[in-house]
Amino acid sequence: MASVPHFQIQDLHVAVEGKEIVRGLNLTINGGEVHAIMGPNGTGKSTLASSLMGHHAYDVTSGSVTLDGQSVLDMSVDERARAGMFLAMQYPAEVAGVSNANFMRQALNARRGEGNELPVIKFHRLLQEKMKQLNIDPVFAERYLNEGFSGGEKKRNEILQMSLLEPRIAILDEIDSGLDIDALKIVAQSVNSLRSPDIGFLIITHYQRLLEYIEPDYVHVMMQGRIVRSGGKELAEQLEAKGYDWLKEELGIVDETVGVEA
Amino acid sequence: MAEQTTTAAVPELVSAISTRFSEPAWLAAVRAEAWQTFDELPANRIEKSDLTKRSWDIGALPVAPGSLPEDAKTLVDSLEGPRVVVVDGVVVQADVPADLAAQGVVFGDLHALLAQHGDLIKRHLFSVVPASESKWTAANAAFWHGGVFLYVPRNVVIETPFTYVSVLTEVNQGAFPRVLVVGGENSAFSLAQVNVAGDNAPSHPHSSVTEVVADAGANIQVMSVNQLRKGPTNYLTQRAKVGKDAVVNWTFGDVGDGFTVALIESVLAGAGSRSLTKGLGIGFGRQHMDLTASMVHQGRYSESDIRLQGVLRGRANSIYRSSTHIERGAVGAGSEQHDRMLMIDTTARADAIPMLLIDENDVQRCGHAASVGKLDADQIYYLMSRGIPKDAAMRMIIWGYLQPIVEAITVPQIQTWLTGLVERKLTS
Repeated sequence: MASVPHFQIQDLHVAVEGKEIVRGLNLTINGGEVHAIMGPNGTGKSTLASSLMGHHAYDVTSGSVTLDGQSVLDMSVDERARAGMFLAMQYPAEVAGVSNANFMRQALNARRGEGNELPVIKFHRLLQEKMKQLNIDPVFAERYLNEGFSGGEKKRNEILQMSLLEPRIAILDEIDSGLDIDALKIVAQSVNSLRSPDIGFLIITHYQRLLEYIEPDYVHVMMQGRIVRSGGKELAEQLEAKGYDWLKEELGIVDETVGVEA
Repeated sequence: MAEQTTTAAVPELVSAISTRFSEPAWLAAVRAEAWQTFDELPANRIEKSDLTKRSWDIGALPVAPGSLPEDAKTLVDSLEGPRVVVVDGVVVQADVPADLAAQGVVFGDLHALLAQHGDLIKRHLFSVVPASESKWTAANAAFWHGGVFLYVPRNVVIETPFTYVSVLTEVNQGAFPRVLVVGGENSAFSLAQVNVAGDNAPSHPHSSVTEVVADAGANIQVMSVNQLRKGPTNYLTQRAKVGKDAVVNWTFGDVGDGFTVALIESVLAGAGSRSLTKGLGIGFGRQHMDLTASMVHQGRYSESDIRLQGVLRGRANSIYRSSTHIERGAVGAGSEQHDRMLMIDTTARADAIPMLLIDENDVQRCGHAASVGKLDADQIYYLMSRGIPKDAAMRMIIWGYLQPIVEAITVPQIQTWLTGLVERKLTS
């Protein structure tokens, strides 16, 4: 495995129920970089995130996605994860009867590979330490996976998994929605502490708010299923101050959506 | 009628059993009358389970028990505490620790205990499940041997569960386990019953009856795990009569590919009586399972809950009925039903049938929820998105779904054994 991850999306097209939502998207993320994708509702941001992870409802109709030169699109969902991809989901599933701790241990051991499993005691020590960092009550370890969690608790649980699994490419899909300012700071802190040349981030958000705490290297604006403008963090500030209309005007876009809710 | 008739040799079998166990006259008379009923009564008609073609060919009285199948041996060898082991209807082990006997607890071979506790047994045997109720309860009453009697006197609380294992081996001639449980006032204890058959059990019918009498304030947990294989029809009738403020909870697990017709019923006779039935079925192969969990409310403010969960694979066909009957006078009664079937293979079939019969106007709560569905694709996706392979993800979700019921089997050895059985059925 290459030491610095290299993730490349080329001319990606994704359809949902026959309707094309992502329409020719290009993006390269290297280890050590934080990319933010912003954009109004319905422009294909979440579709992009889910299709990169391989969700069954999304059809990649053309294009390529590679991680360290390996085709991600040829991998099953679990293979993508084991190759180092991680998606912090907007609406993670609830699974009754499966404890958070058991789930995370299975996931971590799957990621580490057979013969390299973490001993149970070491795992629990690691889990408790990570939970403390994220200010998560230790009882959540034995609670059923996401069951009865509040929106904010689910988000923190996603970040907890990310910090345990140490992915090479982490995609955060609207991780800031439903978080109060204190929780947002904790989540941002956790992301910042993971920042290193070994990991590249793709952060999808509506609001510039999150980017005040996680400083992006690159900001992209998505409209009509593709990236229409890229820049540095000043682009996010510009959008925060002026909204999207000036950009639409500049680009001659009347309707920025692709006809679905993000 | 296309029903198979019994052979003329059967009455001899009935009297042979009475003779072999030197039964008192009253019991021999019940047996003979039960045989009449069995002989004359057609099999009950059950919607969705055709019993007209099932064999009623009763085998001969076994002379010696066969050797234990590997599976059953592992379980039997691991058991501790008060236990009775019956192989092919022959009691091979009956252990009651001395400290229990000193508290007046009676546990062991029903026949052997008749001499000393005849009156107690006579008062209760057939009082909850009468011989004449159905063709199979009549068969049990006519042919039972290797039965078990458990009596816990008033105010006695026993923490260690009692266990009863009934094994059918290849020499089995059909078995008719009969269990009588009597809990005195404010007694508390639990009993785990296991019915297990080897792979090559011949096609004689199997009819098991469990009667539970819970006196006022008693708290009795009854667990039963069945692993019966294809071939014989397996009838199970388990019923409790629950006294004032008493509790009887059932946990039922079936892992098999046989043809099973089961009834688990609590008659909530006393005011404030309560019952919870948890049922778990893992169907595979060509399994046919017809399970009825029933609650009959007679007492005021009696309460019940039914939770049934099934996992179906292959060409398994399961019918899960939950029935609540609130009789007139059961003022303030409450009941909930939850049935959930999980279909793993598209070739399997399941019916969840809730039934509510309410004859009392003043009812506290009464509800039901039933669902038949596949594994949730988004749950599988979520686990896979963290690197867990699809098969393992599916198993985790199924286990998550079964765990609450498996955990209700509080005998660790039986829980481990059941876990192993389920695991094998899910991975095969």
